[in-house]
Amino acid sequence: MSDSSDDEYFCTDWLPYSERKDWEDIKPLEQDDGPNPVVSIAYSQKFRDVFDYTRAIIAKGEKSRRALDLTTDALRLNPANYTVWQYRRDILREIEADLNVELDYLGEVIGQNAKNYQVWHHRRVIVEMLNDPSNELELTKNALDNDGDAKNYHAWQHRQWAIKTFNLYDDELRYVDRLICEDQRNNSAWNQRFFVLKHLGFTPEVIQRELVYTMNRIRIIKNNESAWNFLVGVLRQSGGDDQYQLNSHPEVVEFSEELYNAGNRSPYLLAFLIDVYQEQALHQKANNEQLARKVFTLCDDMATKHDVIRRKYWQYVASHLKSQLDKEKQQQQQYQETEKGH
Amino acid sequence: MSHHIDMEDAIEPEPVLLSKHAKNLLRFLHLLPARMASHDNTRSTIVFFAVCGLDVLNSLHLIPPKLREDIINWTYGGLVAPRENEKRCGGFMGCRAMVPKTDDSEILECIRKYQWGHLAMTYTSVAVLATLGDDFSRLDRKSIVDGVAAVQKPEGSFSASINGSEDDMRFVYCAATICHMLDYWGDVNKETMFQFIMQSLRYDYGFSQEFEGEAHGGTTFCALAALQLSGQLHRLDDNTKERIKRWLVFRQMDGFQGRPNKPVDTCYSFWIGAALCILDGFELTDYPKNREYILSTQDKLVGGFAKWPQATPDPFHTYLGLCGLSFTGEPGLSAVQPSLNMSMAAYAHLQHLHELWRNNSDLAHLKLGSKGSTANATQTTTTSSSPLISAQ
Repeated sequence: MSDSSDDEYFCTDWLPYSERKDWEDIKPLEQDDGPNPVVSIAYSQKFRDVFDYTRAIIAKGEKSRRALDLTTDALRLNPANYTVWQYRRDILREIEADLNVELDYLGEVIGQNAKNYQVWHHRRVIVEMLNDPSNELELTKNALDNDGDAKNYHAWQHRQWAIKTFNLYDDELRYVDRLICEDQRNNSAWNQRFFVLKHLGFTPEVIQRELVYTMNRIRIIKNNESAWNFLVGVLRQSGGDDQYQLNSHPEVVEFSEELYNAGNRSPYLLAFLIDVYQEQALHQKANNEQLARKVFTLCDDMATKHDVIRRKYWQYVASHLKSQLDKEKQQQQQYQETEKGH
Repeated sequence: MSHHIDMEDAIEPEPVLLSKHAKNLLRFLHLLPARMASHDNTRSTIVFFAVCGLDVLNSLHLIPPKLREDIINWTYGGLVAPRENEKRCGGFMGCRAMVPKTDDSEILECIRKYQWGHLAMTYTSVAVLATLGDDFSRLDRKSIVDGVAAVQKPEGSFSASINGSEDDMRFVYCAATICHMLDYWGDVNKETMFQFIMQSLRYDYGFSQEFEGEAHGGTTFCALAALQLSGQLHRLDDNTKERIKRWLVFRQMDGFQGRPNKPVDTCYSFWIGAALCILDGFELTDYPKNREYILSTQDKLVGGFAKWPQATPDPFHTYLGLCGLSFTGEPGLSAVQPSLNMSMAAYAHLQHLHELWRNNSDLAHLKLGSKGSTANATQTTTTSSSPLISAQ
C-alpha cells in the first residue's frame, strides 16, 4: 500500500475548479458515502474539489477537451480509479483525440506509477486502438532498465502482450540474454527466455543449445534456482516418457555429477540429482535398491546439512519414493504369483 | 525466576502482540488519513482486512453492535443491481466515487452507466458479510453471479468489471470465491476457467498471472484456490501436484518469497502457506523460521505487520501475517480456511447458509431472484440510503 502525494504537482498556480471561470456552468457533485460510512478517507480539499467535478462531468456525460484535462487531474490524485480511466477512454474516442499524445502522457504516468495495474491496462487499450506497438519495447525496456526494477511484473506482462499480439519476437532473445548476463538471478528474464523459445519451437537443436547455454551459466553461479529451474524446464520439453525426461540428455546428468564430485553442495544441484536418481530408480523397476539408496542418502544430507529449512520436505520426498517402490515391488510379486498360478 | 536473564531472552520466543494488532485494525475501520486517497477504490478490501483480521484475532467482540451495523449497511450500499435491460454489471463497488449526493433523478440515472460491480470488491464484501454473520437476505445471488459470468473471457479468464479492467488470475480467484460463497455458479464456465488456469502453469511449476508470464506466489495461490473452490483440484495428477509442491516449498527462505531470487515478504507467508495447505503440504515447511520472520516485521509500538522489518505496517500485511501465523497453530489465533482466506467460523456460517438455501426451495427461489424482487432491488440499491436497506 503506497501513499499518494499530490503536493508536488498541485502546489503552484493551483486554482480549485470551484473558482474557475470556465467551469462556472458545472455544479459539483458531492460523494454520497451513506449516513454512517466506515473506512472514511479524510480527503484533501483538492481531492474533494477535483472529484466533485469529475462526478458532475461523468453524470452529465460531457466528453470534451476540458473533461479530458479534468480526468488528468483526477487520475493524478488517484491513479487507481479504474472508472475514471474508462471515462477518459470514452472521451478520447468521442473527441477523436490524438492518441500519440496520450501515449506520451502515459509514458510519463507509467514512469511514476510503474506498479499500478490501471495505467498499464490503459496503455494496452490505447496501443490496441492505435494498432501501433512501435513504442512498447522501448517503454518496457525503460521500465526494466532505468527504473531499477528488472523484475517489474507489470512491465514484463505488457512486454509479453505486445510481443505476442504484434509478433515482435525477433530481437527478444538478444535482449533477454543481455539481462541474464547482467543478473543471472533475474528469474523474470529466464521466464521470458522460455516464452520466446516456446514460440520459436523446442526442436532438438534448440533444446541442445539451451542446455549448453544454461549449463554454462550454472558453471558461473551454481547456487541459482532460476537457472536450475530453466534447465529442468528445457529438459521437460524433450518429449518421450514424461517420467524419464530429466535423464533424456546424459550430458546434463554428467555435468551435475561432476559438480557434485567437485564438492559443490548447492541445494538446487542436489535437488536435481535427487530427481534424476528417483526417475532412474522408478524407471529401472528391478534391482533399483542402489539407486534408491542414493536418493535416500541425498535426502538425508539435504535434511541435515544443506537444506535444513526444508528437512521435513526432504524426509517426505524420501518416504514418498519408498512407498512408490514398495507399491511396485508388491505389484511385481502379485504378478509373479499369478504367473506361477497359471 | 531462577533463570539468568540472557538465557530467558534466548529461549523465550517473541510474543504476537494480539491486542495491539486488534486495536490497529479497529482504527482502520474509522477514519483514514488523506494520504490513503489512492486506496479510495479499494476501501472494501480495507474493511475486509480489518474485520477478518479481528475475526482471526478472536476479537470480533471489539466491534460494537452499532459499528457492526454500520459496516454491514455501508457494504450493502456498494451493491449494484442492474435492471433487466441493463448490462449485467451486478456485484459490489469498493467505494462511492461514482455515487453522487443528489435528489436529481436524471443525474442518478445517468451515472448508473458508470456503476459496476468489481469482482475483488464483491469477494471482499461478501466475505465481510459472512464474517459478521449477516444472513445475505439483501443479496440477489443470481444478479451477482450473472455479473461474474458476464466478465468471463472466452479463454476462461475473468476481468474485474464489465468495463475498464484487465483480466488475469486474480479475478479468476475472485470469481471462484464469489460463486463458492453464494453456492451458485450460474453461467460461469468452469471448464474454460480450468483451461485458463492450466495454460498458466509454467515450466517451473508455479502459476503465472496469465499464460506465459512468470510464476508467482500470489497467482499460484489464486490458481490452486480457484481449482479447489470450483471442485476441480482432483484434475491435477499426482506428479503435477508434487512438482507444484516443490516450487512452493522452495519459496521459503526464512519467511517466504513470491518468486525465485526475490526478497521475502510477510504476505507470502499467507499466499504460499495457503497454497501449500490446499495441497496438504504446509506441514513440510519450517514453522519457527516462518514465525520468526513474520515477527521481525511486527510493529511493537502501534501493532500491525509490514512486508519487511522496519517498514511501515499496513492492514494488508497485518491480516495476511496473522493468517500466516494461524497456519502454524499460533496460540490466540483462530483457524483460517485457506482457499477463501477467512476464518473457519465464518466459513461454517456460510455452510450453514448453504444448507438453508438448499433445503428451503422457496427461499432458494427467492435468493436466486424472482423478477419481482430484482426489479424492486434495482431502484435504489446503489446508495446506502436505499429503502431496501433501511427497511432491515
